[in-house]
Amino acid sequence: MATVADPAEAGTPAADERRPVRRSRATAPGGRRRHGPPLLAISPFYVLFAVFGAFPVVFSLYLSFQDWDGIGDMRFVGFKQYGWLLEDSVFWHSVLNTFEIWFLSTVPMLFLALVLAFLLHSQVRFTGAYRVAYFIPNVTSMVAMTVVFGSVFAQTGLANSALRMVGMDGVGWLSSEWGIKVSLSIMIIWRWVGYNALIFLAGLQAIPTEHFEAARVDGANSWQTLFRVVLPQLRPVVLFAAVTSTINGLQIFTESQVLFQSTDVGTTGGPGQEGMTIVLYLWQKAFKDHQFGYGAAMGWLLFAIIAVFTLINWRLVSGSDREDRAGIRSLLRRKGARNGR
Amino acid sequence: MSRRGLLGASLGAALLGLPGCGAGNGSASAGTDHLSLWYWKGSLSDKLLATARRAVPGVPGLKVKGSQIPDGDIDSKVRTSLAARAYVPDLTVVNSDNLATFFPDENEFLDLRTLGAESVRDQYLDWKWKGCFAPSGRMIGFPLDAGPTALYYRRDLFRRAGLPDEPQAVAEEVSTWEKYLAAGRALRKGPGKPYLVSNVGNVFQQVLLQSPKQFVDADNRFIGDQAHVKRAWDLSVEILRQGLSARIVDGTPDYNAAMGGGRIASMTTAVWAINGLKDTAPKTSGAWRLTTMPDGPANYGGSYVTLTRYCRDPEGAFAFVKWLLGPANQLKSYQEMALFPTTPAAYADPAMHRPDPFFGGQRPIDVFGPAAQKAPVVYFSPYEETANTPFFQELTNVEALGKKPERAWRDAVNTAETTLTRLGVS
Repeated sequence: MATVADPAEAGTPAADERRPVRRSRATAPGGRRRHGPPLLAISPFYVLFAVFGAFPVVFSLYLSFQDWDGIGDMRFVGFKQYGWLLEDSVFWHSVLNTFEIWFLSTVPMLFLALVLAFLLHSQVRFTGAYRVAYFIPNVTSMVAMTVVFGSVFAQTGLANSALRMVGMDGVGWLSSEWGIKVSLSIMIIWRWVGYNALIFLAGLQAIPTEHFEAARVDGANSWQTLFRVVLPQLRPVVLFAAVTSTINGLQIFTESQVLFQSTDVGTTGGPGQEGMTIVLYLWQKAFKDHQFGYGAAMGWLLFAIIAVFTLINWRLVSGSDREDRAGIRSLLRRKGARNGR
Repeated sequence: MSRRGLLGASLGAALLGLPGCGAGNGSASAGTDHLSLWYWKGSLSDKLLATARRAVPGVPGLKVKGSQIPDGDIDSKVRTSLAARAYVPDLTVVNSDNLATFFPDENEFLDLRTLGAESVRDQYLDWKWKGCFAPSGRMIGFPLDAGPTALYYRRDLFRRAGLPDEPQAVAEEVSTWEKYLAAGRALRKGPGKPYLVSNVGNVFQQVLLQSPKQFVDADNRFIGDQAHVKRAWDLSVEILRQGLSARIVDGTPDYNAAMGGGRIASMTTAVWAINGLKDTAPKTSGAWRLTTMPDGPANYGGSYVTLTRYCRDPEGAFAFVKWLLGPANQLKSYQEMALFPTTPAAYADPAMHRPDPFFGGQRPIDVFGPAAQKAPVVYFSPYEETANTPFFQELTNVEALGKKPERAWRDAVNTAETTLTRLGVS
């Protein structure tokens, strides 16, 4: 709020006297006044963030301890809300589904993205066209695409027709446990693989060409170059992609919501609720059943889960060289101890 | 303009804009010359709304402007504006399943009895009128349209299976749900082996709607484990066990293919499904017929109009509602939008008795008219959807994944009970 008072202060004699001094010193005593205009200039962001970012976050924490239908009086229920949530079998089912879908989609997706980026990085014609093509799925309306995928995975759809053409039986893509999860994963892969490929490509291009040349001179083939030269240097980029994919993957919503949208109640998440993700369940509780407190509590548990997994991801992917060496040394020592005596 | 000037101007504009929230009396129409009405596409007649936008006939100086809100969003949007006490519409349309969700907050809506609603009571269907009341006795909704149900069936498929095929004869042949299942067995043995239903969800739904009791009673007690629900459940499971269901979800590409390809011989649903059916299976035109549903009619869907407590002009708004939903205009709405009238006087009008070529020249009103008048008075609690979701879900599990029905029933009852206990339902 200092920003509001500043313009008035700026005109005072004291301020005028000190002006030459302030100009020459980086951190003048009257810093507040000096930083006033810039602070004022950037304040719209903070005002908007406070109203549309910080307030909802804090309010949802408050809300998670209340029972509230959105209009009437709130009823304080405290930690019982979280207790109910932890006992809710549908919630745990949705957590399990989310992780299964996340694993099924993220692992192949990152691998495919890496391969694509590597191919793009080598000399090919129309690179620009490929980049655009890879990025298009990411900016296409997910709702529209889900409708298309819905007909691809239908019992009489494209996917099953293709299977039958090669003499295999059709699969219940949208009516069996793993069919549902694989269908959802394929949609997620399709949407994100190009995006991550471009991220990887940017990382690849930052690697000095001498490294590739040296590898070629040493007689390394493509796979060796990928795993021995490229991957180690891409570590920060892989970490970024893995963390963002985890965050995205744990918030899967549109795909399963639109895929199983139907006029009938009770088909949320599809047969067996196998496509029910955490965010879809949150949405159902908050916006269909009007249990906003319950939804808010679910949001905070999801936050906790994402935080834990980001941390694990970080540890797995970014373990520094020093740690690696220490790990290997201790491993060797243990091995030696066992063999030696 | 300099960069600083632009920043200053935008900040100033933002600050000026902020007090705008919560200004006036909270109505979305504050400071305008009209009343605001929220509805979703297809729930009200576009032509009548265009008239009301200029002037409501018979009410000097009154204008009503309708704003279309997406179907799935309107409930949340009404709730949000009521919670914020700002930009609340003067009038809003509420779906029949959702009116009860507003019962705990009934004071947010005006009691239409205080505006003289009783004076037009005898023009409306009795059960629909009773559905407008919150348990406290306040009338918070006004009858918009009804959703009388019927048995839709494929005459050609029934004939080929050796079953009666004229509406009257079919009605007698399948007068009960058990007889309906017997017809289903005959269909499966006939040429082409069509299924009786696409899935059992609709049968479960209709058997329930034939009962005045649903999942939670007026004393706020869970009754979803009782006989009226178990009967609907057992019938649905029996349809599955006898292989009479095609086991496909409505509205999916598979469903469209099955309907177009003559794999489904019948469905039990409301009048509003006619347009969807015509779009889904245009090639089957002329083959469908309508008759009374096994065990009699029910009401499925339909809507209400409500006046919020932020309404700037309650008398004017109610005069508009009386004009919009009077028998004459309900007839126009039926012709224009297929909104089924809640005013029985409209059923006698020759305009409603046009033969429909899609049903081989049959007149839909001959089936839906009597059905609308015979629908039972059903009590819906605010927690209906929360309570019935596990049952529909478990039924889907039995149907699609082959879950054991007994296990699924126990799971449904348990899930519903646990969820409702939290909400204060005993």
